[in-house]
Amino acid sequence: MILTPEVLAILILNAIFALFGMVAFVLSVKIYLNWDINSTSTAQYRLEKQSSLAATIIKYIFSIKVPLFIFFIFTLDKISNVLTGAMCAAGVVDATEQGTYLIVLKIINLYLFALWLKLNAEDVKDRNQPHTKLKFGFFALIFFLFIVEVILEWVMFSAIEIDKMVSCCGSIYSSSANSGISSIFSLGTAALLALFYGNYLLIVLFYFLKKRYLFAVTNMLFVVIAIIALILFFGTYIYELPSHHCPFCFLQRDYYYIGYLIYGMLFVGTFYGLVVGFFKESILSYKISLLFNSLYVILLSLYVVVYYLKNGVLL
Amino acid sequence: MMIELKNITKIYEVNKNNIVTALDNINLEIREGELVVLKGASGSGKSTILSLIAALSKPTSGEIVVETSRVSKLSDNFASDFRRDNIGFVFQKYNLIPALSVKENIILPLVPLNLHVKEIEEKLIRVLKMFHIEHKENQLVKNLSGGEQQRVAIARANVNNPKIILADEPTANLDEKLSLSFIEILKELKAEGKTIVVATHDPLFFNLEIVDRVVEIHQGVLL
Amino acid sequence: MRTKINIYLVEYAINSLLRQKYKTLFITLVLTALIFLLSSIFFITNSIKYELQSTVDSLPEITVQKINGGRHYDIEVSVADDILAITGVKSAVARVWGYYYFENAGVNFSVVGIDEYEEQYKNSLTNVAKTLDFSASSMILGAGVKKIINENYYKEYFNFIKPDGTLKRVDIGGVFDTDTELESNDVIVMSKESVREIFDMSENKATDIVVKVANEDEIATVALKIKLLYPDSRVITKDDLKISYQNIFDYKSGIFLALFVVSLFTFFIIIYDKLSGLSSEEKREIGVLKAIGWRVDDVLKEKFYEGFIVSFFSYMSGVILALFFVYMLRAPLLQNIFTGYSQLKTSFTLPFVFDMQTLALIFFLSVPIYIAATIIPSWRSAALEADEVIR
Repeated sequence: MILTPEVLAILILNAIFALFGMVAFVLSVKIYLNWDINSTSTAQYRLEKQSSLAATIIKYIFSIKVPLFIFFIFTLDKISNVLTGAMCAAGVVDATEQGTYLIVLKIINLYLFALWLKLNAEDVKDRNQPHTKLKFGFFALIFFLFIVEVILEWVMFSAIEIDKMVSCCGSIYSSSANSGISSIFSLGTAALLALFYGNYLLIVLFYFLKKRYLFAVTNMLFVVIAIIALILFFGTYIYELPSHHCPFCFLQRDYYYIGYLIYGMLFVGTFYGLVVGFFKESILSYKISLLFNSLYVILLSLYVVVYYLKNGVLL
Repeated sequence: MMIELKNITKIYEVNKNNIVTALDNINLEIREGELVVLKGASGSGKSTILSLIAALSKPTSGEIVVETSRVSKLSDNFASDFRRDNIGFVFQKYNLIPALSVKENIILPLVPLNLHVKEIEEKLIRVLKMFHIEHKENQLVKNLSGGEQQRVAIARANVNNPKIILADEPTANLDEKLSLSFIEILKELKAEGKTIVVATHDPLFFNLEIVDRVVEIHQGVLL
Repeated sequence: MRTKINIYLVEYAINSLLRQKYKTLFITLVLTALIFLLSSIFFITNSIKYELQSTVDSLPEITVQKINGGRHYDIEVSVADDILAITGVKSAVARVWGYYYFENAGVNFSVVGIDEYEEQYKNSLTNVAKTLDFSASSMILGAGVKKIINENYYKEYFNFIKPDGTLKRVDIGGVFDTDTELESNDVIVMSKESVREIFDMSENKATDIVVKVANEDEIATVALKIKLLYPDSRVITKDDLKISYQNIFDYKSGIFLALFVVSLFTFFIIIYDKLSGLSSEEKREIGVLKAIGWRVDDVLKEKFYEGFIVSFFSYMSGVILALFFVYMLRAPLLQNIFTGYSQLKTSFTLPFVFDMQTLALIFFLSVPIYIAATIIPSWRSAALEADEVIR
C-alpha cells in the first residue's frame, strides 16, 4: 500500500463520488422505472425534481473528474520517484496488474460521462424531455463502470509495493519486450503513418459529406490509431530520441507538459466526433471535432517538421 | 383565447387528515386584452387561480391553457421559462428583496438570461420611466415608502414586457390615494394591450370603467 | 455565448452572501483555518523534503559500513583501497566521524574529520579544508554549535572529554555556512587525527567508507560487488536513502492528512447542517425568484457560485496565510513536529519551495469537498414550491 497525501486525496474524492453517485444511482433507477411525462401526479412531479438533483450530482462528479484525471497522472509521475526503476507514470501503471485496465477504464468513463452530459443537455432542451428514461438508464450503466473504476483504483494503490523493482517505460514500450503493449510495435512506420493520415483524411471527407455515422466511426477508430501513432512514431520526435516510446514522459515538466495539450485536443476532437453520431442537429459538434482533430494532427506533424528543419534528418 | 381554465380542481393536502379543496371544478376563459377582476373573500381560492395561471402550482385535475401552451403540464424548469416570458406577477406583499437596490430588484427576472449590459439597461430604463421611479434607481428598497415599493414591484413585473399581468390583492397595503394611482397604472397597462387579472376584495375595483368583467368566487366555486 | 460567466448572477451571489454575513463569515473562517493548517503542513514537509533531498544529493553515491552482530563497527582503512580497485569507482574515502554528546547543554554534535590532501567527499567540506589550520589543533563550527558552546562560556577553544576521562583542547578556528542548514548546523569539522584522538580510534580504522561512482547507472552493480567482496559490510546507496526519506515524510504528512480527513468530515457535516437550515426569509426569497422566472437550474447555479466564491476565497486566503506563516514567520510550533527532537536542529530556515502540484493537492482536498457538501441543501432550496410566496 502506498499512501502519499496525493493518493489519499484521490481516495477521499473517490469516496465522495461513490457516495453521491450512489444517491444519483438510486434516483436514476426510480426515475427509469416510474417516469411518465404525461402524468400530472405528485409522484411524477417529485420525480421531475429528483431528476434535477441526479443531474446536478452527475455534473458535479464529471466536472471534478476531468481535472482529477490529470492530477491522477501527475500523482503516478510523482510516485515513480519512489519506485525503484520507474522513471515516469508508465512504470507505476505497469507495476500492478490493474494499472493498464484502470487507465483504459478511466478514459472510457470520461467519454461516457461527457456523453451523458451531452444527452442531458439535449434532453432538458425539449419540453417533453424525450431522453429522460434513456439517460437515467444509461447512468445506471455508467455508475456500474464507475464503481469498478473506484475499486480498481483502490486495489492498484494497495498493490504498489515500494521496495519492489519495476520496469521503466523504456522496457515496457520497446519492440524487444514481450508485454501485450509491445505487440503493436510490429507495425511498420509507413503503414502506421498511412493509417494515421488516412484516417484523418476520412474524417475530413465525412465532414464535408456530412455522413454522421461514418464520421463517428472514423472518430472512434482515430482514438486508437492516433494514440498508437503517438507512441510509436510522433513520440520519438517529441523526445528527439529514436528509441523512446512512452505515452507518459511528455506529460512531465521536461517536455513543457505538452502531453496534457495533446491528449486534451484528442479527447475534445474525438468526443465531439462521437457526439455527431448520437445526436442529429449538431453542426457545431462537427466543427469542434474537425478543429481539434486537425490541431492534433498539425501539432504532431509539426514536431516532425521542426525536427527535420533543425537537424536535416529524420529519426 | 388568452387564458383557459378547464374543469380545474385543486386540493391542498395540509396533512393526512386535513384536506382543503381550494378550487372545485372551475371553468374560466379570459380573452386577450381583457381586464378581469376576481372578487372574493380571503381564502376563497382567488390567489390559487392566479398561481395556477402562472404555473406556480399544478392543478389536482383539469387543464390550463395559456395561448397555446398547456401550462398545467409544464415541468419545473419550463414553467419558469413560461413565467419569465409571459407573466408579470404583482404580489400582495410586493416580495422585493429589501437589501437590494431598486435597479437590482427590477432586473432580477433578467439575471439568469445572461444578456448584454446594454440590453439590460434598455429594459431597465423603459420601466423606470414608465412607472416614474428613475430618481430612485440606486436606492435600497427598504428605504422606500409603500407606494414606491409597489411601483418597483410593478416595474419588475413588466421588465420583460409580458403579455399577462397578474396582481394579487394589489391595494391591500395602500391608502386610498395610492390605490387610485395604482388604478392609473392599470389603465396604462391596459392601453398597451396587456391581459390583466386582479384578485381582490377591495370594492374600489368593482365599478371601474376599465374593468371588463368581475368574476366572483366563493369557497372555491365561481358564482 | 451561453457558457459565458453571468456577471449579474455572480453579483447576485456575492450580494446574497453578504446579506447572510454571519453564516458566510463562519463558514469562510472555518474553511480558511482548515486550508491554512493543511497548506502549512504541506509547505513545511515540502521544504524539509527539499532540504533533505539536497543533503542526500550532496552525499556520496555509496556508503560502506562494517557490521558485526547487527551493530556498526569501525572499518579497516585498507578496505578503501580494495574498493578503489573495482572498475567504475571514481573515489573511495575512509571517513572518520562520530557524535559527541555535550552534557552541559544536553545536545549531540556531529564531529567530522578531514585530511588536508585527500579529495573531500562533499563540496561544502572542500571550502572548510581550505580555511582549517591542520598544523594546530583547531576546528571549524556550524552556526548552531558555535551558539551553544558560546552560551557555555567557551569563546576561543573547547575541551572535549576523551573516553579515558582526560581532556582534549581544540581551538575554534571559524564558523562555516552552507546553503542547507539542516545538515551543517550541528557539525564540527577538524583534522582526522584530532577526531581519532577524541573518540579513541586507532590509526588504521575509519567510521565508514564513502564511494563515488562515475556513471550513475553502475551504482547498483558496484554496490553488489562491494557486498560480495566484504560480506560483513552494509552497503547503502543514495537511492535507498532518498526513498526512505520520502517515505518517512509521506508517512508523517499522511498521519496529518488522516487527522485532516476527520476534521474535514466534521466540517462537511457542519456545512450541510448550516446550509440545510433555511430561514423563512431565504425560503421566501427563493420562492420569489422562481415566481419571477428563475429556473431550478438558475437557482442551483447561483448557489454553486456562492459555494465556489466562498471556497475559492477561503482556499486563496488559506494558502496565502500559510505561505506567510511558513516562510515569513518560519512556522512557529508546527515546525517542531516535523524536525525531530534535537534542540540544535530546530533553528534552520525552511527553503522556499513552491510547486503547482501541492497547490492542486490542497485544492482537491478543499474546494470539491465543500461544493459536495452544498449540493443537496442547494437542491432542496431550489426545489421548494414557488407558490408558497403568494399564499
